[in-house]
Amino acid sequence: MHTGVVPFCLIVLLAVSLRAQDVQPVLNRYCVTCHNASQRAGNLDLRAPGDQRELWEKVLDKLSTGRMPPPGVEKPQPAEAQSVIAWIEKRYPAGAPDPGRVTARRLNRVEYNNTIRDLLGVDLKPADDFPVDDSGYGFDNIGDVLSVSPMLMEKYMAAARRVAQVAVFGESYPARPGALTRLLAKRSAEGGGILSNANYLPYSMRGALYGAYRFPVDGEYEFRVRVANFRGQDEDDLTPEDRERYRKLRASVRGRPLTAAEIQAFNEEVRKHVPPRKVVFSIDDAPVLTAVVEGTTTFDYDRGEFVTRVPVKAGERRLRASYPELAGLDDPRQNVNRDQRRKLFVDYLDIIGPFQPSKEPPASYRRIFVCGHAPGLHRAACARTVVERLARRAWRRPVTEADFSGLISLVNTVMTDGQPLEQAVRAALQAILASPHFLFRIESDAGEGTVAPVSEHELASRLSYFLWASMPDDELLDAALNKPGVLEAEVRRMLKDRRSGALIDNFAAQWLQLRNLDRSRPDPKRYPTVDDELVDAMRRETFLFMEAMLREDRSLLDLLDAPFTFVNGPLAKHYGIPGITGEEFRRVELNGAERGGLLSQGAILTVSSYSTRTSPVMRGKWVLENLLGTPPPAAPPDVPQLDESRIGSAASLRQQMEQHRQNPACAVCHTQMDAIGFSLESYDASGAWRTHDGKFPIDTSGVMPDGTAFSGVGDLKRILRGQSAAFTRNIVEKTMTYALGRGLELTDRPAVERIARKVAEDNHRFSTLVLEIARSAPFRMRRGEGGGRQ
Amino acid sequence: MTGRSLPRRTILRGLGATVALPLLDAMTPVFAPPARKGKAPCRMAFIYAPNGKQMDHWTPRGAGERLLAADLPRISQAIAPYVNDVVMFSGLTHNNGRALGDGPGDHGRAGASYLTGVHPRKTYGKDIQAGISVDQVAAQRIGGLTRFASLELGCEEGIQGGNCDNGYSCAYSNSISWRTPSAPLPPEIRPRAVFERLFGDAAADPALRKYERSILDLVLSDAHRLKANLGATDRRKLDEYMFSVRDIEKRITAAEQRIVEIPAAARSLATAVPGDFTEHASLMFDLMTLAFQTDTTRIITLMLGIEQSNRAYREIGISESHHGLTHHRGEPEKIESCVRINRYHMDQFAGFLAKLKATPDGDGTLLDHSMIVYGCGLSDPNRHEHHNLPVVLAGRGNGAIQPGRHVRYGKETPMANLFVTMLDTMGVPVESLGDSSGKLEQLAGL
Repeated sequence: MHTGVVPFCLIVLLAVSLRAQDVQPVLNRYCVTCHNASQRAGNLDLRAPGDQRELWEKVLDKLSTGRMPPPGVEKPQPAEAQSVIAWIEKRYPAGAPDPGRVTARRLNRVEYNNTIRDLLGVDLKPADDFPVDDSGYGFDNIGDVLSVSPMLMEKYMAAARRVAQVAVFGESYPARPGALTRLLAKRSAEGGGILSNANYLPYSMRGALYGAYRFPVDGEYEFRVRVANFRGQDEDDLTPEDRERYRKLRASVRGRPLTAAEIQAFNEEVRKHVPPRKVVFSIDDAPVLTAVVEGTTTFDYDRGEFVTRVPVKAGERRLRASYPELAGLDDPRQNVNRDQRRKLFVDYLDIIGPFQPSKEPPASYRRIFVCGHAPGLHRAACARTVVERLARRAWRRPVTEADFSGLISLVNTVMTDGQPLEQAVRAALQAILASPHFLFRIESDAGEGTVAPVSEHELASRLSYFLWASMPDDELLDAALNKPGVLEAEVRRMLKDRRSGALIDNFAAQWLQLRNLDRSRPDPKRYPTVDDELVDAMRRETFLFMEAMLREDRSLLDLLDAPFTFVNGPLAKHYGIPGITGEEFRRVELNGAERGGLLSQGAILTVSSYSTRTSPVMRGKWVLENLLGTPPPAAPPDVPQLDESRIGSAASLRQQMEQHRQNPACAVCHTQMDAIGFSLESYDASGAWRTHDGKFPIDTSGVMPDGTAFSGVGDLKRILRGQSAAFTRNIVEKTMTYALGRGLELTDRPAVERIARKVAEDNHRFSTLVLEIARSAPFRMRRGEGGGRQ
Repeated sequence: MTGRSLPRRTILRGLGATVALPLLDAMTPVFAPPARKGKAPCRMAFIYAPNGKQMDHWTPRGAGERLLAADLPRISQAIAPYVNDVVMFSGLTHNNGRALGDGPGDHGRAGASYLTGVHPRKTYGKDIQAGISVDQVAAQRIGGLTRFASLELGCEEGIQGGNCDNGYSCAYSNSISWRTPSAPLPPEIRPRAVFERLFGDAAADPALRKYERSILDLVLSDAHRLKANLGATDRRKLDEYMFSVRDIEKRITAAEQRIVEIPAAARSLATAVPGDFTEHASLMFDLMTLAFQTDTTRIITLMLGIEQSNRAYREIGISESHHGLTHHRGEPEKIESCVRINRYHMDQFAGFLAKLKATPDGDGTLLDHSMIVYGCGLSDPNRHEHHNLPVVLAGRGNGAIQPGRHVRYGKETPMANLFVTMLDTMGVPVESLGDSSGKLEQLAGL
């Protein structure tokens, strides 16, 4: 290749001279404060960039879309920006369109569980035992980082064995009814309570016990709800007033027979102070037991078990035993004694059964044995039909004879051993589920460098794992997706389907970092009214809010400031929203300035805080990174971090930050992050509204580096709305990364731009975002890769 | 059948609730000492305690080589009872953990370079690349001698989603073991799952396992056919799959010969991860001891936490994030909290040493026949330093190591030199590993 060297060098020299004259001063003025060798924001050093196409295309991308410099930072004049854009475009003309390629990816944990559920109708969730999936680009469905280890393969084998067994023969259960489990909740906000090493359910200051249990078979089950209390056991548990009342009552009745009227008066007096409390036990939100716990003359409550026996369908059911009236307490500490033990609580829930278990084969049985013969009456010829259908659905494509011969010979081996057809199908199903055809989503290549549409079946899987995080259903698998209008119709149908909820609990939960909520839950000492139940309620709020976005096909910009949310009694109390009691979530319209949009939701405010305090820096960073897609660079290790721990006591946070920013290396990024973060200071680290931090009044005003002044969350939302192009573009990029299962490349830029434009033109509708991604070249096509063919 | 000695009974099992199982005590009688000809094998384990150390409270005082309990400051004081069983090192460095032009991301690099000695590629996901870790080098050479080539364990679930460390994929800080430069091995964090993996589920219906081998053959041929039509990147993924299937095939034979009947004990271990760190770590160390004792594997890695861990150690009254605390700005209270967390980790390690030392093995104890490295890929976590790393090597390595010393190496001595030396002792010599420049000369004493 010697001949090519000389002209190539000439071009570079020419380019370098151009760059030095026209481009570098602009970069020096507006970019290098963050994009230098030590900060390397976005992994870019722009002080003396060489001839690197990728780097320059990145610059072009950010500059031409107005996302860099980030909001509030001094921006180049249009002419200056244009000169850089023009230079890059001339220097690196766009190449041929390239849809990119997705690395073969194995199903991740969520996809595995969902696929098993939709394939066989068994909700065993075997992948909950798999190791956590590594993530890349913020998502855990990125083929490049999803690896297979021997340990994972063992788990795949064990899961396939168990799933096949349960799908064909049903879950095993005791021959005679017996104690199946005891559900226990944590007894304090810290740690596991008095027992250790058990599988504890969340801690509720209001005494609730809730969790899920997988019932092995349709049948009747007995539930024993043990209610307990710690009030009256100990003198200290009574308030001085109650103690005095108790003393007087006792004195008034001591040593003489009481009249009926006196007894009644006595009881009424007691009831005023220990009112009867309702206990409700529900399965999948349907109450199956309601009882009343009476107060006693010692100012505590009856204890004991409430027992009920009800029919339950096989599968995982949500169980909840609680005191709904306590959801209306102004402060959950009203149910907690001074020694931290709760006054009223559900101690445990015993499940006993199954009584009269169904003798019918499990529902999955009928899905598998499609020939329709009764159990025991199968014909050998059916094996082929049954296994072929299973393989086709599990592998999400038609099965070839080569794929099939191994399965059939396995079936034959088992039957030759004298086993019934069910055993043979079970073994074949295990093999189907352990096969790379099931575990991986592999697309065929059209040859090195060749760009070609993926097949209709591959496209069906791309759609279903994007929208449902699960396998395609029969309709999708059979759809002629390449015919005009079919893809659009399928996308709309799929969005309406319940399974599209995966876009929320899988995509949105990762995008918004809600999966980290458990790691950042507020410290119980500093936030004594925040228990596990409230944190779960916060998560639920954001999920319901996102679901409303999806189901109502709202504008993406509503994420910033929609005037409604979803709360239950405890969360409403936490937020200070009046008039909401009870445990059920309901939609509330918001008209005040305090709440509305993602940025005022507890889950978001908590996940962007330390467990013990707020951090304007973290919140500012959260907004820049997740809403605008412009993450600030990390602080260099030798720069001391801001001391946020003494805020509220020593100096105010703001005073400290002002000092901090006097360091010019920190100032440019911090001015922006801090200003955004300060505007959210009205919310504490658990998302509650506050006016003071310690003894210092909250000041939410801020000034961006470019001089834009603003104050409070309302102004922040307005500023973000003003950045709707960057906001939309960021959502497109995040959604696209998730949809494709790979990091975006510069070659995806035209597609991303087009989608962002379409979305903006269509009132930022959520469905347009999804539809345009599904239509885009990177989603429908792939480039072949060579180098490995045999 | 060696397993019959443990009665089929429930150990400390309540109705759904369980108390901590003294697993080691319960299981030890199950195993007769492995019948063995000749010398006991050498084992190796690497225990990762994240987020650096407060080095002032780690490094032994005193200038001598002899390691004295009285010279140990607060963190390393935890292993004072074992001064004669350990070597402490000063001066070892992971140059490849440093930025080397890649900017921020020291935690990601610390985790990925720790056992590999390699500078990881800076990427959010595409073309992820570190190097083969020391444990896996050994596993690939001698792993065939035991039922499990190696075990990878942890006490903290890996981070999911979000951005782990300034442009480094979470894979770099979630795992320290790398089977290939692109295949990290995520640790198992559930003690119960480790237990079942090691000792099998004897309760499982043998009829269900009858066709296991045919199934493995079948899926392997599926993979072969598939692979023929794939590009290089996709083939690499299929290779991971095929390697793992073959690994299981090897193990099936061994398992058929050795079914240990312990379902009751297994059942009494909760399926969830214990909430209490002490209990969690202690169970993991029990399992490691059992795995070594039964010669189920000779190579184990354990991450007490992932690198850059934000865990709050409420067990010892610390409610702030560990990583957050390490950037302490010189504040005494925060440094104190860091010291206490470092010490807390090391207390767990000391418990492990006690177990190894109390377990007879051939002509000595397990500790005599082990090399256990304890440490971290950062020294001063506030400044993200990758030199003078905190390293303890416990055990005698079947006589190759002379413990009871504090050995100081020259500046910039590659940490990987320690690994090369250890591989020698394991009987799997290599020319080099990562950025090693030779061997550590003073392990056997001067």
